[in-house]
Amino acid sequence: MKTFKLKIITPEKVFFDGDTEQVIVRTTEGDTGVLYGHENYVANLPAGPFRVKIDGKFKIAAISGGVIKVSKEETVILAMAAEWSDEIDFDWAKRSQADAMKRIKESQSDYDLKMAELKLKRALNRINISSLK
Amino acid sequence: MASSNMKDIKRRIKSVESTRQITKAMELVASSKLRKAKERADNSKPFFNTLYETMSDIVSEDPAFNSIYTRKRKNNVVLLIVIGGDRGLAGGFNANVLKMAQERCNELKSVSDIVVLPIGRKAVEYFEKRDFRIMERYENIAENISIYGASSIAEKIINVYNKDKIDRVELFYTDCKSPLVQEARRLTVIPVEIDSRKKDTGLTNYEPTPEAVFDSLIPRYVSGVLFGAIVDSFAAEQAARRIAMENATENADEMISNLSLIYNRARQSAITQEITEIVGGANAQD
Repeated sequence: MKTFKLKIITPEKVFFDGDTEQVIVRTTEGDTGVLYGHENYVANLPAGPFRVKIDGKFKIAAISGGVIKVSKEETVILAMAAEWSDEIDFDWAKRSQADAMKRIKESQSDYDLKMAELKLKRALNRINISSLK
Repeated sequence: MASSNMKDIKRRIKSVESTRQITKAMELVASSKLRKAKERADNSKPFFNTLYETMSDIVSEDPAFNSIYTRKRKNNVVLLIVIGGDRGLAGGFNANVLKMAQERCNELKSVSDIVVLPIGRKAVEYFEKRDFRIMERYENIAENISIYGASSIAEKIINVYNKDKIDRVELFYTDCKSPLVQEARRLTVIPVEIDSRKKDTGLTNYEPTPEAVFDSLIPRYVSGVLFGAIVDSFAAEQAARRIAMENATENADEMISNLSLIYNRARQSAITQEITEIVGGANAQD
């Protein structure tokens, strides 16, 4: 299969930089696959799973919101955070889920509620993906 | 008389020596923190650059592009985010960025209301003392800030902006250009200033729409800017402190060597005097 360049960048580091055969991401509009020669494309990514095919095998990662940008030269994913499924700290994700639930119950304004919900989504996403190894 | 003078000098040498130990230790701590902070600051750059590129692509491709985050408003209320350090003893680090912010305040004072969001204890102290309206204060967060920490600050700012309570957001921080050069900087965060360059990228498919993508990038952009600026300022603070402490250690060394010279001179002259007295006494007996 033809490969193309993929970069996954988070504010803390360049998470991934290399060649890949296929990328599957969950955008706000649904799952999208990217192969070599895809049209120019930009979409929002909520917290969700992310699959990348290298040497015929899929690797799964969790990303916490971002944007995907496909161009002729390369595909770039900007994410607030990214972790491979086997690197996710399960206990931490569980704690963060409990914390988010508590905040939802105690939230005083729409804004607090929205923030807590987003936090819960990120935690659940991590928990789901770490079981997908 | 000579012996009491010598005691004084000895005491001073001791005190300078212990000061020197402290400044030397601070220098070493700052330089190890600097290395870590510089790495973080450098690592945060690719994210921010690509994000900015994506945003400017969106704006350049669509001449009719319009977003509430790029539109200029009347500057009735201006929010100044000022990033200072949590500690002093860092040369001109705090003074430079605070001076820059203060000058901007003086400029704006006649036309707009000013709200400040200070980050870092020194910045908080400065603006509280001068009775500025403070939106929120953050202390001791710079060293271990995560992107989520920056994100929650950014969300608050955007939330207030969307309610039309502020019309413009400016950021004051210190750029750590190199371990030897730090520079206070001002940056307009909102409205986003985009240089729409003509680039032939072909048509891009934006899902759902260019505006939706752009608007959802804004919180990430602001968090990215804040995160980058906080990390960069922290690196600059450490760099400034390292230099200041290096100079202090050098000065202490110089003082110690001067004082030892004076001490030795005093010691010699005391000995000489004693010999003269003995010789004088012996001669008198003859």
